[in-house]
Amino acid sequence: MPAASALQILVVDDQLTIRSLVRNGLQHIGVTDVREAADGEDALRALITKPAHLVISDFNMPKLDGLGLLRAIRAHPPLRQTAFIMLTGRADKDLVDRAAQFGVNNYLVKPFTVVTLREKIEEVFGALT
Amino acid sequence: MNSPHARAAPDDDYAQARKIAVIQGEYRVIDDPGVVLTTVLGSCVAACMRDPMAGVGGMNHFLLANPQNGTTGSDQVRYGAYAMELLINDLLKRGARRDRLEVKLFGGAKLFDTLQDIGDSNASFAEQFMRDEGIPVSGGSLRGRSARRVEYWPISGRVRQRMVEDRSIAEQETRLVRRPPTPVDTGAVELW
Repeated sequence: MPAASALQILVVDDQLTIRSLVRNGLQHIGVTDVREAADGEDALRALITKPAHLVISDFNMPKLDGLGLLRAIRAHPPLRQTAFIMLTGRADKDLVDRAAQFGVNNYLVKPFTVVTLREKIEEVFGALT
Repeated sequence: MNSPHARAAPDDDYAQARKIAVIQGEYRVIDDPGVVLTTVLGSCVAACMRDPMAGVGGMNHFLLANPQNGTTGSDQVRYGAYAMELLINDLLKRGARRDRLEVKLFGGAKLFDTLQDIGDSNASFAEQFMRDEGIPVSGGSLRGRSARRVEYWPISGRVRQRMVEDRSIAEQETRLVRRPPTPVDTGAVELW
């Protein structure tokens, strides 16, 4: 049963508003170690510099999209075990299917609530304390 | 931002254009210069956004839920951000670049004499969102006391606005102001 305060999470989205919403939601459930990246390339650089337990990433982003980021993480041995939750829209079933092929751990449908955010994280890590 | 910065378009342009109405909760992205997007706004806000270099533009039309109906300010931002993201993502998908996007904002009127000014909430959200995301607001017309009819040529960025004195719009919005739907997972694929 991991402590929320021990989780290190990287939030990846090209919209500052969405990153802020996710960060606020994470803080609400007790996660304090939250970093942000504006696209897949920034995220990859950030993870190589300092790994995280979990990446919560949007799909539609410039440079390297969410699926590309997921593939890069799974292909890079030091990062391969990083948990990955994909942010999706309701109509993105194809994306969810493709992400599943590349080893996504869970997905979060926008717009989401803090309760759903917690549930999705707990489905990956177990109940948070 | 009371000046519309909207150029009057010759009526011929409008008559010959293919009109597509954008109703509340919808968005449209267009790359056809022969199309004009139209909408009627009360307290709702429409973002008319385009990339002038890519020749693609679009409009959304959203109404944030009234916090008194069981939602919080955070809920409002979440749903508003989602409405904006749908429009922006579709623009990017069709060749727009985020650093070239420009927007005109319309709507957010106060149609009722109530304490809760949901039009102002909608307008303030849209302005704050564009500031946060670094998308320049090149014009528009927000707040006031009248409904608006907006016609937007998404490729040229031309806009025509008419103020509308029609109480039925206010009555229609009253029916539409409700708690946003509870987010529902697609349920189609459970990964874990």
